[in-house]
Amino acid sequence: MPTIAVDAMGGDFAPEEIVKAVAQVSLETEIQCLLVGDEPQVESILEGQSYNPELISIHHTREAIGMADDPKTAVRAKRLASILVATRLVADGQADALVTAGNTGAAVLACAQHFKAIRGVRKAALASVYPRQTEYPGQDQLALLLDVGATIRCDATELVQFALMGSAYARRISKVPSPRVALLNMGTEETKGGDVLVHAYRRLKTVSGINFVGNIEGNDLAKGKADVIICEGFLGNVALKMLEGLAEVVVDLAGTAARENWRWKLGLMMLATGFGKLRDLTDYAAYGGAPILGFEHLLIKSHGRSNARAVRNAVKVAAKAVRDGVAAEIATAIGEL
Amino acid sequence: MALRRSKSRSSKALPPIVFRWDLDKTYLESEFESLRQMVRIPFEKPEDKVAVPGVVPLIRNLREVATSAGREVRVYFISASPPQIAKAIKEKLTLDGIVYDGIVFKNQLHHLVRGRFRNLREHVGYKLTELLKSRRDMPPESRELLFGDDWESDPLIYSLYADLLAGRLAAEDLDSILKPIGVDARLLAVAKDLVDGLAAAEVVRKIFINVERRTPPTRFRSFGPRLVPTFNYFQTAACLYDDGYLTLPAVAEVAAGLVEATAATPHRFANALDDITRRGHLRPASATVLREYLREHRLLPRQSKAARPSLWQRLQSWFASTPEPTPPRDEAIDYQALIAQWRGAHTEQRA
Repeated sequence: MPTIAVDAMGGDFAPEEIVKAVAQVSLETEIQCLLVGDEPQVESILEGQSYNPELISIHHTREAIGMADDPKTAVRAKRLASILVATRLVADGQADALVTAGNTGAAVLACAQHFKAIRGVRKAALASVYPRQTEYPGQDQLALLLDVGATIRCDATELVQFALMGSAYARRISKVPSPRVALLNMGTEETKGGDVLVHAYRRLKTVSGINFVGNIEGNDLAKGKADVIICEGFLGNVALKMLEGLAEVVVDLAGTAARENWRWKLGLMMLATGFGKLRDLTDYAAYGGAPILGFEHLLIKSHGRSNARAVRNAVKVAAKAVRDGVAAEIATAIGEL
Repeated sequence: MALRRSKSRSSKALPPIVFRWDLDKTYLESEFESLRQMVRIPFEKPEDKVAVPGVVPLIRNLREVATSAGREVRVYFISASPPQIAKAIKEKLTLDGIVYDGIVFKNQLHHLVRGRFRNLREHVGYKLTELLKSRRDMPPESRELLFGDDWESDPLIYSLYADLLAGRLAAEDLDSILKPIGVDARLLAVAKDLVDGLAAAEVVRKIFINVERRTPPTRFRSFGPRLVPTFNYFQTAACLYDDGYLTLPAVAEVAAGLVEATAATPHRFANALDDITRRGHLRPASATVLREYLREHRLLPRQSKAARPSLWQRLQSWFASTPEPTPPRDEAIDYQALIAQWRGAHTEQRA
C-alpha cells in the first residue's frame, strides 16, 4: 500500500478538515498517511476522531504557507513550511505522493524545487477536473483540463507533451482505454489560433498513442467531445475560472428569482431533487483534486475550500495514481515521443 | 534493561499482582453486532473462537515476567456472557495455553426467571460486585492491572472499582452514581456492603482499554491518566514495558503474535508506537529503547538511508523543536459529569 504525504496545514479549513479526512481514510482503506504539520495541533484534532493509528504518522513542522501568501516570497522565506517539508519527504522516498489543499502557486513551486522532472518533460502542467456532459456510454463524467496555471505560454512541443501526460493520467485514473484529446482553440479548423496551435494540431494528429479529436471551442468545454483538453496555462486558468464563475452565477440567479417570485420559488422547490443530483455531480468534494503532471512524483492539488470528504477522495486518487503507475505511464509516453 | 529492572525488584519481594481481563472484545473477538451473531455464540466450538490478536502472548508473558521476578501472579476473567458457554470458553483458554485462577460468568437465566429483564443488559452492577467479591479473597498488599474494551462500560466499572479500593469513593457515593444508570437496588446494596469491608489502598495501577470500536481517545480523558486506551495489544505491551511489567523480548513476542494474526507490518508498529507516545502514555525514553530493540529484531522498519535525517534535516528539526507529549492530567474523576458524558457518547455510538 502506498504512503501518501498530506499537507495538514494547507487549505481554508486546515488543519481540522485535513486531519479528519486522514482519520477517515485510515478506517476505510489500507493507505498509509503521513500528516505534515504542527504536531500538537494535528494530534489534538486526531485524538478527537475515530482513527486507525497504525496507518497514520505525523511529521512535525511549525510553519505553513497561507492561502493569501505570495507563493514566491513564501517559498523563499518559509523553508519549513508544511508544503515544502512534505514535498521533500516525498522526494526522499518517505512517501509516494502528496496531497495538498493549500496555496496552488506554492505547491507548484515546491514540486519544481524538490521533485525531479520526468526525463524529456519540458514543462510540468497543473491539471483540473470538472464535470461535463457525457456523449458515449462509459465516458467519465469528469474531463481533464491542462494546463490551468503552471505555465503562462507554451510551444507546440510542450502542448503535445501535455496531451501525452493528460492522456496517460486519464487512461490510468478514469480507466478510459483511449481518451479523446482535444486542443482548446478559437475555432475547430486546423488553421485557427496562430502558429503555435496550428503546429501543435499538426503534430498531435501524427503522434501515436493519442486519440486526437481536433480543436474544440469554449462552448464545447462543458460537452463530452473530449476527455482531455489541452491548452497553455494562461488560457486554461481563464477557462477554468469562467466555468466556476458561471456555476456560481446560475446558483445566484436561481436564488434571486426565488426571492422575487413565489412561483419561481415553488418551481425550484419541485426541482430540488434534480438540483441535488446536479450538485452531487458538480461537487468538487466528490473528485478530491487534480494532479500536477510532469514530475517523477505526483502531487494532487485539492480545492482550497476542501472539506474532509474532498481531501479523503484526493488521498484515494493519489494512492490510485501511485498503485496504477501514472508517473511511469507518463514517462513511457514521453519517451516514445 | 527491563530484565534488570525486574530482577532488582524481586529482591524487594514485590507484592502479588492480579491481572483481571474482560472476555468479549478484550480476550475474544466475539461478534455480537447482530442478533444472528449473538445467537451463534453459544453454539461455537472452542476452536471456532478467535482470540484478539496479541492477547495470548501478552497474558502469557505478563505471567512469565512476574513469576521470573519471584512475584505471585493471579489471572482472572470476568464475562457478562451466560455460564452456558463456560465450557467452550474454558476449553478455548486451555487451547491457547492460558493459565488462569478464576473466571466468572453472568447468570442471565437467573435474572430471566425472576423477571429482572433490565439486569440482562445492565452490566455495571454485576461486574462491579463481582470484582469487589473477588477482591476480598486477594492478599491485601496485591496490586491489580485491569483490561477491558470500549464496547460496554468497562472504563466506568474499572474506574469505580479502582477509586472504591483507593478510598477516593465511599460506599454511600455509589447511590448517586449507580442509581441514575439503572443499577439494580439489590446489586447496589451488595456493592456497598462489599466496599465497607475493604481497607483503602491504591490497588489498581492501570486500566487498559482495548479501543475495538475506534472510540476517539479524547472521550477517555475524563477517566484520568490511570486509564490507557490502546488500539492494539502491541501498544498495551509497550506501556506495560514502560511500567516494568514486561521485558523487551516479551513486547517483541506480542508484536510477533500480531504479525501472525493480522496484516501488521513494521511500518504499522512504528506508527502505533508513535501514536501511544504522542498521547502521553509511553515515555519517550522508553519508546526509544523499544524502537532500537524492535528494529534489531526486524519488527520496526530499519531506517533507510533516505529516511536517516541529513545534517540539514537534523538542523531543521532542531529549529522546529518537536514538542514533548502533553503530560496526562492528574485530577479526581467527576463521576456525575462522566456518567452523563459517557452514556451520551455510548448511546450515540449504539445509534
